[in-house]
Amino acid sequence: MNARRSRAAALLLAVALSAACLTHLGRAKRYYAEGQDRARAFGTVSAVASWKKALDEATQACRRRPSAQSFTVKGLAEANLGRWAEAEASFLQAFAFGFREGESWASDSALTGLAASFEDRGLEAAALRIYALIADRSDFRPALMLAAERRTNLVLAQASGLAAAEKARSLAALTKSLDRLIDRDFACGLYHYLRAQVDGHTGDLKRAYEEAVMARELGLPSAKIGRDNDNQLVYCYIRLLDSLAPSEREALAAAQARWAAKWGWLDDRTPAWKKE
Amino acid sequence: MSKKDIEAALARGVDILDKFLPLKSWLVFPVLYSACVWAVRRVFDYRERILAWQVWLDPEFVRTKPDGFILDFFASNEALRRAYADEVSRGDLRTLRAAFPALYTVVGLEDAFLKALFKPELDAADYRTIVVEFAARTARARDEIRPAADDPEFWKALFFVAAEAASLGLHLLKDEEVQDMIVGLLKGPASLGPSIPPEA
Repeated sequence: MNARRSRAAALLLAVALSAACLTHLGRAKRYYAEGQDRARAFGTVSAVASWKKALDEATQACRRRPSAQSFTVKGLAEANLGRWAEAEASFLQAFAFGFREGESWASDSALTGLAASFEDRGLEAAALRIYALIADRSDFRPALMLAAERRTNLVLAQASGLAAAEKARSLAALTKSLDRLIDRDFACGLYHYLRAQVDGHTGDLKRAYEEAVMARELGLPSAKIGRDNDNQLVYCYIRLLDSLAPSEREALAAAQARWAAKWGWLDDRTPAWKKE
Repeated sequence: MSKKDIEAALARGVDILDKFLPLKSWLVFPVLYSACVWAVRRVFDYRERILAWQVWLDPEFVRTKPDGFILDFFASNEALRRAYADEVSRGDLRTLRAAFPALYTVVGLEDAFLKALFKPELDAADYRTIVVEFAARTARARDEIRPAADDPEFWKALFFVAAEAASLGLHLLKDEEVQDMIVGLLKGPASLGPSIPPEA
């Protein structure tokens, strides 16, 4: 009787512990996603609070039932909190556990997160190699988007210190890789935004303007990127107005007036979010 | 909409936040102001699209800008052009590029929390101080808000204050009016201290 009772108690305890672990991982993911959602809408402080809660939950999940997923979520939260050394260790732990079938999203997230932690610790060459790998091979859109954005930022920063010919070669290679991403997923506004940014550096303002318009129409992943895209769009528009022949200028102004009306802008060069 | 009703709602908010941020009243203004901005944009609607199973890092905006964009940023804003008149006229991109990351986030992208955090400098058009103080003050704000941010009741209280003000027609006021209203309240009896860090 006693043996039966203790077996039942052990079973109950195992079920309870397992449910508690799942709850920790589930909660960690929820808090993390909540943080992302707030960060996208400029809620930086509340986002930090959510990531911190996600980290606490993920740490408990890693302690009680370690898995590739729990270490991935822990690493992502640490990365967002700027704890790059800890993030790197967590992502490496995640790979040590190995990802199961159907977890390629987690594996790609961990790999991109690992690259981000390398980058933030000054290992830019290693980070660039991983971003290139993700951009070429991953089918997981969020990892692709992050890799594309980080790679673009890194290449542009490095190119600014290069001689003209070398800079042109570097930007041409970047443009080519962004075009491949656009071909694969034309409806992703972020790729058009990145292309517009690179076009701004190569001086192709007409293309930059068109890509920025396309990015706005297709949608961007955060309010901050959306505003930066609007600023780029207005900058290109004004510079183009100054440089085009009168007939082309009129056509551009008419097109921009139509877009501005559609987007609810205050005028052709003032987005609605700009203060009066 | 009555301005007085909004002001009363915000005054209640100041009282409540003072309980969560004791002796940290320099943070009350940016927290309350940005909460109002989020509430007007309905960010506090806890949206169903929050996914529990898929997590990843999000992309950021591209920080490396071409020289023309940076020059245009300083030249096209009247106050910035005045503050950096020498650098703009000389085309001193080294200085302008160094000042750009802080000023673009505050002035160019109009981040509500940062605008409120640097309100005294923005009002005085003291952009160089923003550049010098940016990293330290934003880091300090994040650190000091953490104990309150860990308390779910803090966010609940903030949500109700901002949502109430939003429902009373906060969106019909200009940004500056809302800011002045909160600053006025902080200078009143509800305030426990200065609205900016003492050493700033």
